[in-house]
Amino acid sequence: MRRLLRLVLLAALTVWAWRFLAARRATHERVGVSYADGSSLVLEPGSTGFERLAAVARGALSP
Amino acid sequence: MDVAQALQELTELSAQVERAVVLDAEGSVVGSTVADERATERLATVARDLTAAAGELHAGGDEVTRVEVELRDGAVFVLREGGRTIAAVTSPEPTAGLVAYDLRTCLHAIDDTPKPRRRRAGQEPKEEADE
Repeated sequence: MRRLLRLVLLAALTVWAWRFLAARRATHERVGVSYADGSSLVLEPGSTGFERLAAVARGALSP
Repeated sequence: MDVAQALQELTELSAQVERAVVLDAEGSVVGSTVADERATERLATVARDLTAAAGELHAGGDEVTRVEVELRDGAVFVLREGGRTIAAVTSPEPTAGLVAYDLRTCLHAIDDTPKPRRRRAGQEPKEEADE
């Protein structure tokens, strides 16, 4: 029983370490827009607005 | 400070800004850090398209003052202030606040025109005082 507990603990630690390292490596993509009335919005990948603005911006990033 | 000087100062101060253009209120290019005319016009077009697309996202139809698009390959910033627009391409994962501050400083530097000297209160021009 004790060996099984150790194995589960080791597996959990491995999964946590892998996810931690993967999250650090992932590049954070986002779009932020501010307006004259003081309002602002943040768009994350997957949203329609993000994909549209990202497609426009890629025109300036490509060599 | 003219546009070329302000842009030169921007690229000297900000290590993250790779290239930048300044547009006037009509959207015409008034300055660029890029010698290549096609690259300048491409960044200017992106700036105009980004502000137009960002404006359509807001129901109130208010003026877009800032757009920042951070992608894996780099980031594009567009700032509008005082009728002028500045657009810049930066390296990946930029310090967004710092880049925005540098771009705003650049726009303010362009606006810095010599102001006429203010006359002290109560001091009249010589001709009027003699009457």
